[in-house]
Amino acid sequence: MTAMALAQAVFRPEFIWDNRHIFVGGVKWTLVISLVSFVLAAVLGLVVALLRMSPSPIIGPIVAAYINLFRAIPLLVFVLFVYYGIAIQFNLTITAIQAGILTLTVQYSAWLGEIFRSGIQAVPDGQRQAALSVGMGRAQAFFRVTLPQAARIVIPPTGNMFIGMIKDSSLVYLIGVEELLRVSYVLANRTFRYFEVYMATVLVYLILTTGVYFLVKYIERRFALVDLLVSKTRSPFARRKAARLRRLQESLSGGGSAPSGPSV
Amino acid sequence: MTAAAAAPGNGDLVLRLRGIHKSFGTNHVLRGIDLSVGQGQHVVIFGPSGSGKSTLLRTANLLEQPDSGSVWFDGKEYGPGIPGAGGEDPPRGKPRDLRQQVGMVFQQFNLFPHITALENVALALRRVKGAKRAEAELEAASYLDQVGLLDKIGAYPSQLSGGQQQRVAIARSLVMEPKIMMFDEPTSALDPELVGEVLGVMRTLAESGMTMVVVTHEMGFAREAGDVNIFMDEGVIVEQGGREIYSHAREPRTQAFLDAIL
Ligand SMILES: Nc1ncnc2c1ncn2[C@@H]1O[C@H](COP(=O)(O)OP(=O)(O)OP(=O)(O)O)[C@@H](O)[C@H]1O
Ligand SMILES: [Mg+2]
Repeated sequence: MTAMALAQAVFRPEFIWDNRHIFVGGVKWTLVISLVSFVLAAVLGLVVALLRMSPSPIIGPIVAAYINLFRAIPLLVFVLFVYYGIAIQFNLTITAIQAGILTLTVQYSAWLGEIFRSGIQAVPDGQRQAALSVGMGRAQAFFRVTLPQAARIVIPPTGNMFIGMIKDSSLVYLIGVEELLRVSYVLANRTFRYFEVYMATVLVYLILTTGVYFLVKYIERRFALVDLLVSKTRSPFARRKAARLRRLQESLSGGGSAPSGPSV
Repeated sequence: MTAAAAAPGNGDLVLRLRGIHKSFGTNHVLRGIDLSVGQGQHVVIFGPSGSGKSTLLRTANLLEQPDSGSVWFDGKEYGPGIPGAGGEDPPRGKPRDLRQQVGMVFQQFNLFPHITALENVALALRRVKGAKRAEAELEAASYLDQVGLLDKIGAYPSQLSGGQQQRVAIARSLVMEPKIMMFDEPTSALDPELVGEVLGVMRTLAESGMTMVVVTHEMGFAREAGDVNIFMDEGVIVEQGGREIYSHAREPRTQAFLDAIL
């Protein structure tokens, strides 16, 4: 009836606009799942990276096995296994959304773990030595000196992983999570407007991933170690800091009472 | 001071290394180093590349754990100790306490590139000594002023010349008010025209009475400041002497090395 009539009609872009609430609902879940999984995967990935570098002859290889295992399983297979193979089969009380987030988190923690490890190892050991030499502890040296530099190094590959996460989150449509691909699939099958619906789906994914791409570029520039002055003097934070430095310089060069210290 | 503090038999002693051995795999880099550094003394160490000079400083600072031997610093004992050595033991210290009081200046500067010169110097004041930001920054700025870099406090390391970076690195160590400063070839990564400004800071520091251990091949500085001069080769101290070592070396190996670099 109506569906058949619609299917026979020519290209009708306004059809998308009329169903925009469906797409918006799907995008919302796509973003929630991607963001939550990514944040969890990043935290877990940092732990994976640190354990992977452990000098212990047991921990390192175990974590290496974890990384290789989860990178080797196709994500789609893993999603189905976790939800149907484990959750449903054994009557676990986890929702499809939770199962999807769990799957994405575990797999991405393996990829991110390797990225973080290479970033941490790219920071010269002299940085750690210098931090220790002024009396900082191992944890302080890591979190205040090594990690901030490693973080800058891993911004581009980590950004790429987040783009990958947005795309991969579409795979949880198979276990019934109402994210962008799922709602598109249902809408297309109900209305037979396959071209319009999937065209819109493609465009929305494109907008999301391109948006993230430019966001990552911005973050990369913002925290780059070169051109810091150009990118940093604009923020109010940077202006306050510059003012503080000027006051310090004036208080010391003004011939005022300088604090004690050896006269070098 | 306790009896233990006076144990090495010299009240003026700041640092003493005894029987230090260190290997990396099969590479036996330090082969029994004994070295005493007295209060206010300036020890200069020179020797060919790979002879273990950097490893010696890193071991004295406990950035490397010696395989055997003892590091005595300011009344406390560090390191694994000497096999078979008996006698009363001075109290053992934590490596972190030693490092807080031993300044270290590296050949490659090793400034923290993600923070400004001021933050480089203030970081340990805040995180190790627990100073408030305002006081830490004021203190850090005064040390940067003393090395002639007050106008550069807001600069990031990449915006500074090598000489300026090394002076920031010296300020970063000095701000912790160390009892001893160690320099590992502080000028050898610098363009020739920048060497002078760093040596200038080191001279002033030496004149102020700071205890210093300096690995360097700047013989002008060595002749002038070196109270104790040490030639190291293949992990051992070959010769140790006063300033006369530069004109009348006892060991032919020392003489050959000096002839080659002068
Ligand atoms: N962390 C390390 N791991 C493995 N080998 C090392 C390490 N540090 C130093 N070595 C080795 O120890 C030996 C001595 O090195 P060291 O850097 O102490 O020599 P050096 O006298 O400072 O030489 P240079 O004048 O070139 O700085 C070298 O053979 C070096 O390869
Ligand atoms: Mg060296």
